[in-house]
Amino acid sequence: MTTPYRRRLFWPLLLAGVVGHSHGAAVPGGGIAGDRPGANAVLGRSAGDAAVSPEDALAERPAFRTAMFVAPANAPLRLAAAGGNPGPIAVFYPDIGEPYRSVFSKIIEGIEERARSRVTSYAVGNNFNTQEVAGELKRQEVRVVIALGRNGLKAASGLDKEFGVVAGGVVSVPEAELKTSAVLSLAPDPALLFARLKSVSPRIQRVFVVYDPRQNGWLVKLARDAARAQGLELVAQEAGDLKVALGIYQNFFAAADPRRDALWLPQDSATVDESTVLPLVLQESWNKGLTVFSSSVAHVKRGVLFALYPNNLELGRNLAASALGVATGSTAPRAILPLRDVHTAFNTRTSSHLGLGLSPSLLQGFDLLFPEQ
Amino acid sequence: MKKMRRMAGVVAWGWAVAALSQTAMEEEDLALAYGDKSFVSIATGTRQLLRKAPSTSTVITAEDIAAMGASTLSEVLETVPGLHVSRNTLQNSYTPTYGMRGILTDTSPHVLMMMNGVPRTSVYLGNPDEQRVELPVENVARIEIIRGPGSAIYGADAFAGTINVITKTAGDINGTSTGLRAGSFNTWDTWLQHGSKSGEMEISAFIKLGTTDGQRRTVRADFQSGLDAAVGTTASRAPGPVNLGYDSIDGQVDVGYNKLRLRAGYTLRDNLGTGVGIGGALDPAGRVRSERFTGDLSWTDPAFARDFGLTLQAAYMQLANRITTPLRVFPAGASFVAQGGSAFPSGMIGAPDKWERQLRLSAAGVYTGFSDHRLRLGFGHDETEIYKTAERKNFTLLFGAPTALAGGLTPVSGADLFLAPHRRHVDYLYVQDEWSFARDWTLTGGLRYDRYSDFGGTTNPRLALVWEARHDLTAKLMYGTAFRAPSFIEQYATGNPIALGNPALAPEKIQTFEGSFTWQARHDLQTTLSLFRHRISDLIGQSGMTYLNTGRQNGSGGEFELVWDATTAVRLIGHYAYQKNIDQTTKHDAGFAPHHHLYARADWRFAAGWAVSGQLNYVADRNRPFGDTRPQIPDYTSVDFTLRTDQAKHGWDFSASIRNAFDADIREPSKLSSGITFDLPMPRRSFWLQARYSL
Repeated sequence: MTTPYRRRLFWPLLLAGVVGHSHGAAVPGGGIAGDRPGANAVLGRSAGDAAVSPEDALAERPAFRTAMFVAPANAPLRLAAAGGNPGPIAVFYPDIGEPYRSVFSKIIEGIEERARSRVTSYAVGNNFNTQEVAGELKRQEVRVVIALGRNGLKAASGLDKEFGVVAGGVVSVPEAELKTSAVLSLAPDPALLFARLKSVSPRIQRVFVVYDPRQNGWLVKLARDAARAQGLELVAQEAGDLKVALGIYQNFFAAADPRRDALWLPQDSATVDESTVLPLVLQESWNKGLTVFSSSVAHVKRGVLFALYPNNLELGRNLAASALGVATGSTAPRAILPLRDVHTAFNTRTSSHLGLGLSPSLLQGFDLLFPEQ
Repeated sequence: MKKMRRMAGVVAWGWAVAALSQTAMEEEDLALAYGDKSFVSIATGTRQLLRKAPSTSTVITAEDIAAMGASTLSEVLETVPGLHVSRNTLQNSYTPTYGMRGILTDTSPHVLMMMNGVPRTSVYLGNPDEQRVELPVENVARIEIIRGPGSAIYGADAFAGTINVITKTAGDINGTSTGLRAGSFNTWDTWLQHGSKSGEMEISAFIKLGTTDGQRRTVRADFQSGLDAAVGTTASRAPGPVNLGYDSIDGQVDVGYNKLRLRAGYTLRDNLGTGVGIGGALDPAGRVRSERFTGDLSWTDPAFARDFGLTLQAAYMQLANRITTPLRVFPAGASFVAQGGSAFPSGMIGAPDKWERQLRLSAAGVYTGFSDHRLRLGFGHDETEIYKTAERKNFTLLFGAPTALAGGLTPVSGADLFLAPHRRHVDYLYVQDEWSFARDWTLTGGLRYDRYSDFGGTTNPRLALVWEARHDLTAKLMYGTAFRAPSFIEQYATGNPIALGNPALAPEKIQTFEGSFTWQARHDLQTTLSLFRHRISDLIGQSGMTYLNTGRQNGSGGEFELVWDATTAVRLIGHYAYQKNIDQTTKHDAGFAPHHHLYARADWRFAAGWAVSGQLNYVADRNRPFGDTRPQIPDYTSVDFTLRTDQAKHGWDFSASIRNAFDADIREPSKLSSGITFDLPMPRRSFWLQARYSL
């Protein structure tokens, strides 16, 4: 059998692959995943963990409402009728350069490990023709597509309703392209963030977050429950842009109590940015001895105490499990799910400054430590 | 028609902009979770190593190496602040020497080079390699370079600095790849690399084969040119090309299982040309073979007992440096009759061989049971030995001037042999405490005692005070001493009455004060300023007939480093280093090393999957040492460019480089006594192409 990967041995395609273009719909472009022999489908963890129901999620994002429900609403029923054999899985991923390409290749590795059925990957580049690919998928009897990244999701949104779609590798979901049964977001689960916070700084009682409801309303809803479960009080303040957010941060630092308050920086382009908010947050939190944690791993290198970031392999496995669920009809509820497959990055310099005095065994459990030297 | 073309242009432009903005949006999204491009490889890579002690250090990653378009360790190390790579001036073999903070001597025994924490030092000259072993970088995960003394942790030779080369493990490779590189000087390299994990077992392997003719720049005058002029012979091969060809094999295997790790390495350099010749006279015929086996077994348990982590290690090394085609120390026709010696119509020929082995046993523990303290302690035993030597030659130096042996090329022994076998044992013990005595203040104090079977004991302390002054500023103040153990040549050389070994030598010593400030000036700009002052005593030099601890040298200077992520697609890295080292005996500049060293690199990801890098290296103001009246060594500026595709996890990736793009005349200094008047010429412009395929 000629796999997408083997096809790249031909020089013209090889060169095309190198310059980052897909050659038409029928040619899977990136070749970062190959075929796998068929086997039984394995279902992953319950997709209901820490999920927001579509109703909840969309109540705060009205524009999402239509998109969320129209497309795949009856797809799981139809797929269930097809029986327990999940069939092959297709993956749409963005035809993107390194180093981000490695992120997707690792996720696909996880998908292949868990799927145990044939996985065919398609790089979504400029020449990607959804209709042509859809024809090929039908011929291969593919019933479920895993859409990775914005471009993968956009391409999958052009598929017929008969295909089930599971999405991942996105932080937020563009409303026009939300046609999925489940979205495994790259936003770390607040429950895990708060649990980690309690493990490294048990004295914290209150967590502040400034967020844009259009981007993170669904996550903050989860965070409220998660905070309660950890015995934390969540003070979530809305801001639609950086100017408003800056004002809120300044007020927070003026009144915050380092003995019991902490600040959470979500993945939010309206309330957290590298050049204005982060320098202010880092300086003020250092001066006042306040704990700051983040949903963006790069912030840890800059001086935030810790962050959770994706475990790509495990994320891939769970995407495969969700996809198999969709393909066999025992589907997960349509929902946006926060990231639960995480690693921990930790800043020892900040930890010392805060006087946390963590045990080496706890530090050993972290995946990235900063500063490097 | 023109209008249509214009329209087509607009459509194409629009298409390109749309494509770019799509990619940009995708990357923006991913940057929120994984960090920007310069960070994402960290977030998708393997765990960071914990530092051992506060220091002034540089870390070079595999990604940096790819951006430089470097294929050898020397090319990489030239980009390190405060480090300039020069060439051996003892044997004129072009073996790399590492001048750190102005400490640059003929064979560079003042820098400790380690491979995965195990010293590469050969006891013969006390440096990593006597022969020209240009280590490849395909299997290098990262290189950690520490400037300043490190003897309190690492022992001997961590004097001017320490270089630790960390090879790739299964997690770094994760798959199978094969590569081919072709370049100037008829250079061909091919390699195969594999890394995989299965349960708790992980294995990685690397094999590389290579061959090169080496650059062939002309040496205008050599030692024999001077002899010819003095005695009226015409023996010299100068003007003639340097001889830098070789064949190479490099192999590494790394197996990890649970707490155990087994590493094995193999390095072969065969048909090695002799550079400008061991006697400073061009020798196109001589060939050398250097073969090294290494192996180490370590067991690490970070939680061996409550608050106590333990590492045990045993490392073995075997090195054979042999002459496969006898060396023409001086060419056919050389004559020493005027000096009271002989004429050598077939050349003055020699072939010294040596075999060396080392066993290093060590235990290291970290105890964290005391509040605010981190205690590191360790001990070990090293056995190093040149266990066999042999020499064939057609001359003797025992009568002063070179005199022909009656039997022609014959095995020699006793006083005529260059070195008899010798052995050295070292026992050592060290302790270090990292004490966080106040918020944002840490004091690290360390002490190591080494007992050598030949020259006795030496104790070296290290103190470092670190102040995390602000969220964006760290200040360090450091003090330490270090030592360099005399090499076997310096202790035991025979065969040449004007360069006899001295078993009574003491180690060289250095005392260093350092200050460093790291400032995150902006979110995208990090700067570091390091300042140093050192005093060296008991420098070993040849004085009269033998090696003696006579020299003293004082030095000072600093490095300024800058990393600027100018845009999401452009990163600029640069540094400027200054040093001044004065020989205290002559009150003259110590010579050889550049006073000014400027380096800048720009990495630009100009399209998805493509990157171009340019680097500039300015080396200036290299004085001659005392007594050398030649004009100052010419300054140079080299510029390299590398165009590459991203290193793919699967499929092909490519790289093309031009090194020394503007064809600068680069020269590394020779010693006046070598007779190589116009120094050692380095490569002109060269071209390199590389393709790699990953399964």
